[in-house]
Amino acid sequence: MAGTILAVPAIGFTAIFAVLRFPNFTVAAHATIGAFAGYIANTALGLPAWAAVVVAFLVAGVSGVLNDTLVLRPLRPSGALTMAIAAIALNIALENVVRFVFGNDHRGYELALRRDWRLGSLRVGPQQVENFAIALVAMAAVFLFLAFTRTGKAMRAVADNPTLAGIKGIDADRVARLANLVGMGLAGIGGMLLGLDTSIDPLTGFRVILSVFAAAVVGGLGSIPGAVVGAVTIGVAEELSLLVLAPAYRTAIGFVAILIVLTLRPRGILGERAY
Amino acid sequence: MTAGPGLLATEGLVAGYTATDEVLKSVDLVVHDGEIVSIIGPNGAGKSTLLKVIAGLLVPRQGSVRLKGTPIHGRRPREISALGVAFVPQEQNVFPTMTVRENLEMGGYVEPRQSRDRIDAIFTRFSQLADKRRHAARTLSGGQRQILAMAMALMVEPVVLLLDEPSAGLAPGAAEKLFETIRAINQDGVAIAMVEQNALEALAIAHRGYILVDGRNSTSGPAPELARDPDVRRTFLGG
Repeated sequence: MAGTILAVPAIGFTAIFAVLRFPNFTVAAHATIGAFAGYIANTALGLPAWAAVVVAFLVAGVSGVLNDTLVLRPLRPSGALTMAIAAIALNIALENVVRFVFGNDHRGYELALRRDWRLGSLRVGPQQVENFAIALVAMAAVFLFLAFTRTGKAMRAVADNPTLAGIKGIDADRVARLANLVGMGLAGIGGMLLGLDTSIDPLTGFRVILSVFAAAVVGGLGSIPGAVVGAVTIGVAEELSLLVLAPAYRTAIGFVAILIVLTLRPRGILGERAY
Repeated sequence: MTAGPGLLATEGLVAGYTATDEVLKSVDLVVHDGEIVSIIGPNGAGKSTLLKVIAGLLVPRQGSVRLKGTPIHGRRPREISALGVAFVPQEQNVFPTMTVRENLEMGGYVEPRQSRDRIDAIFTRFSQLADKRRHAARTLSGGQRQILAMAMALMVEPVVLLLDEPSAGLAPGAAEKLFETIRAINQDGVAIAMVEQNALEALAIAHRGYILVDGRNSTSGPAPELARDPDVRRTFLGG
């Protein structure tokens, strides 16, 4: 289940990479922004978790488009490395905006208390199952969008061959805005799902960015199915690491996974495929 | 066929990839309605660059590109494509991870309403594509990929097709079939400007030919005459 939730922001990260060809690390801040947008929708507006997730998607997505348009896009001619460094700086700035508005406290969603389900000796929390279902629905929606809509196919075309896409009349700027909307929106959903599992604070996104990045690299940067495979691999590896390592070393799993993949199979498990 | 100002015409084109280099130093070209024009010449003569300028991928430093008398130079590639000038690049001319059908849909992206009918028409015409409609483009053979690239260009029902070395890397049999396809497309009324290394084959199917050398016009004329010209044969056709 941890892997499935991780897959949502990982798909967002890899979708943006596929179209714009740089690692947009503001996925971390947008996970946090989504988590807080969902928190407001849930606690102030009284929306249930599944509806608050839609708010998380929209707020994080729109923020992603605005931040790309105003801050990152003007730097595009300077190349991917400049963009990546700018994204790290922007991420720090956005996190601190959240901190300025909401403070450093941990906050929890208002969720009805429900008894765990017992499946033999296994205890499963209903909220975890709901989070898992939300993650699956989000992923299915992305796949359907990319496979069956004209706009989704145009996004894959730009990821595949941007020059040819331009010749065929596909507006690369519009596709870039869409990639940011969808990618950062998914990061927002991911942030909220993480918050539903535990609590949220301004570092909610930052804590998982290494795992998200590792999932995308392990699966193959730019590959959406790869992000799912990578996220499940990292999620399971992180959980299993607790059997032999102290929880403090859990984040090291991402580093180790990136090292192994870059050494043995630099293109990732599924290679570089947009879809 | 050769009278009048031409369907597509370039005049005094100067262009390059950086601010200082001049790959094209001065190129004039005319393509008339319904004809095939072959552009041949040695490596580095600027043949592919000429097509890129016409397609809008490069902005000329001087000179003009006109379609039916209207200047189109400096416009964006998608605007030029929407006006009926379809460019098929030499390499990377399909979307490799997308299916054949999806590639055709992207070929007709600017005219989505006609897409379904045109795809059906293309599958009727190119049965080798119909058989592979659900296959990813990267799984096609070189010849099939070139046919797909041309079929994608036909999705907008162009008035002029710009082909950049369509037979590059193909086995002789596949190249021969491709030239037959190009001739058939032309017989449907699409004018074609084609850059080719395979000069004899290119002149064999063309109405007129242009020879470029070092970014300038060298010789031009009816294709059969160029193919017979001893100087041209010695210099460009190997004998």
